[in-house]
Amino acid sequence: MSLDDFGSLEGTNTGRGPLHRLDARVKLVAAVAFVVAVAAVPLGSWRALGGLGLILAVLIVLSGASPLRLIGRWLGFLLLVGFLAALTAGGRAAAEGMSWGMVVLNLLVKNSLAFLMMMVLAEVTPWNKLLGGMRRLGAPSILIATLSFMQRYIFVLGDELARMLTARRARSFRSRGGPGFAMLSSLIGVLLLRALEREERVHAAMTARGWDGTMRALDD
Amino acid sequence: MHIPDILIDSRVALATTVVGAAGLAYGLGRVERRHGERTTSLMGMMAAFVFAAQMVNFPVGPGVSGHLLGGVLSAVILGPWAGAVVIAAVLIVQCLVFQDGGVTALGANFLNMGLIGSVGGYAIHAPIRKAIGGPKGVLVGSMIAAWFSVLLAAGAFAIELAVGGGNHDFIRILTWMALVHAVIGVGEAIITGLVVRFVLLTRPELILDEERTAEDFETDSGAAPAAEPSRNPGWLATLAAGLGIALGVAVFVSPFAYDAPDGLEYVGEKFGFLPDESHAPMLPSPMPDYEAPLPFSVPGLDTAKVATAAAGFAGTLIVFAFAWTLSRAFSRSTAKPSETTAHVA
Repeated sequence: MSLDDFGSLEGTNTGRGPLHRLDARVKLVAAVAFVVAVAAVPLGSWRALGGLGLILAVLIVLSGASPLRLIGRWLGFLLLVGFLAALTAGGRAAAEGMSWGMVVLNLLVKNSLAFLMMMVLAEVTPWNKLLGGMRRLGAPSILIATLSFMQRYIFVLGDELARMLTARRARSFRSRGGPGFAMLSSLIGVLLLRALEREERVHAAMTARGWDGTMRALDD
Repeated sequence: MHIPDILIDSRVALATTVVGAAGLAYGLGRVERRHGERTTSLMGMMAAFVFAAQMVNFPVGPGVSGHLLGGVLSAVILGPWAGAVVIAAVLIVQCLVFQDGGVTALGANFLNMGLIGSVGGYAIHAPIRKAIGGPKGVLVGSMIAAWFSVLLAAGAFAIELAVGGGNHDFIRILTWMALVHAVIGVGEAIITGLVVRFVLLTRPELILDEERTAEDFETDSGAAPAAEPSRNPGWLATLAAGLGIALGVAVFVSPFAYDAPDGLEYVGEKFGFLPDESHAPMLPSPMPDYEAPLPFSVPGLDTAKVATAAAGFAGTLIVFAFAWTLSRAFSRSTAKPSETTAHVA
């Protein structure tokens, strides 16, 4: 998994489609409402699922997201979902009087609808817009501020990690089994120390500039 | 393992969302009272660290790799509720940006990994650390807590999955979850132990210290054992006692699993969660019609149960062996920090 594949977190997915221009609050509420609606559809009512699927298909076309990308990620998660669906389907099948295979299929279809909708949301909404939307919808400002700090540091720490791995590769031989547990744990340990030290510096710098704990955003 | 959308029952999703939101609000309040205006940068940085550390893949076997989960690690460094807040931030980003974990299952995932994983994990960590004392206590306590936090989270996951699916699935789901997570838990314990050891050898002051621990965690998690303030009753004796208790718990899981469905069924019917299973035989006749559905159901559920108990037993032993080996570094006076920093440029 490479972070570059996810324009949403970096904020580079600023397309000009109709869904991109929509207010983040509307998109977030609508996407969650869609997922809840999918969850509320009773087992076996395929017509309702078909209707929701049609809405999703229209939104995917409007979003301009690459279908190949969507399908690739969707298939990646399908295995795990299938495993869990197979585990839980037995009891539901008995309770609803449906066959086991139908229940699994139903769970898979419903999960796929929800998954693709959340993916479309991420495709058309940059992370900072989404955070702004969450804040204006009443999420605690301290949580929102934490999440936006986290977004910046993910890239900083990701680069730091990549630099350390490159440095190690450049300076040492490679054992056949690749790096071992001890080496990788030291790597994580160093990353932790550097992260905490960086936080000390960042906090000191912010305090020097009058940081009082409230995030002031320009885009309200 | 993150719960995706749809797979847990809607009522479970709703209940865990409420519990998760309340837990997060309480955790945020506690962290803010303690760190003040520093909260956001500290939590944001730690969450970014956990997120980045999760991208480091540890080789487990051919084609299989695992990674750090970090709930107990961040709780040991910053305190239990800070650890939970960090996990919440990681889960929110994973859900909304990477679609890893469902949006309706966010509450359940936070309950399992943040509240049970971090806060519960710390409740296991603190008494062990107190009983053993010193850096050894921190190390052994965090490894054992990491192991149990993964198993407890898996147990909670199994319950959440089973409630919607009819209680007869509970044993099967628990068995599978426990089997898979017995392996994941050993990995988590070893990685957490190695990282904590690294921090102890290089910057031990970064780990939350005991006095602050006491005021930060005023026994509000109730059932924390070893309440008597025993003044270092000897490292070996504590280890033996702890090992005994842990093995007991691990083996106890299997007989417990036999009784659990009845308990769950009782609760479920009482509160109207579960459909009235009039068509399901109450007597444990050898798996009447629930055998067929699973294509990969292990030949005879008992085999799987024995395997799970064995995995729990073996995992506990392995974690103790590693904790013992790793903590030996601290008995040779104080080890040289340069020894470990040399690994990484």
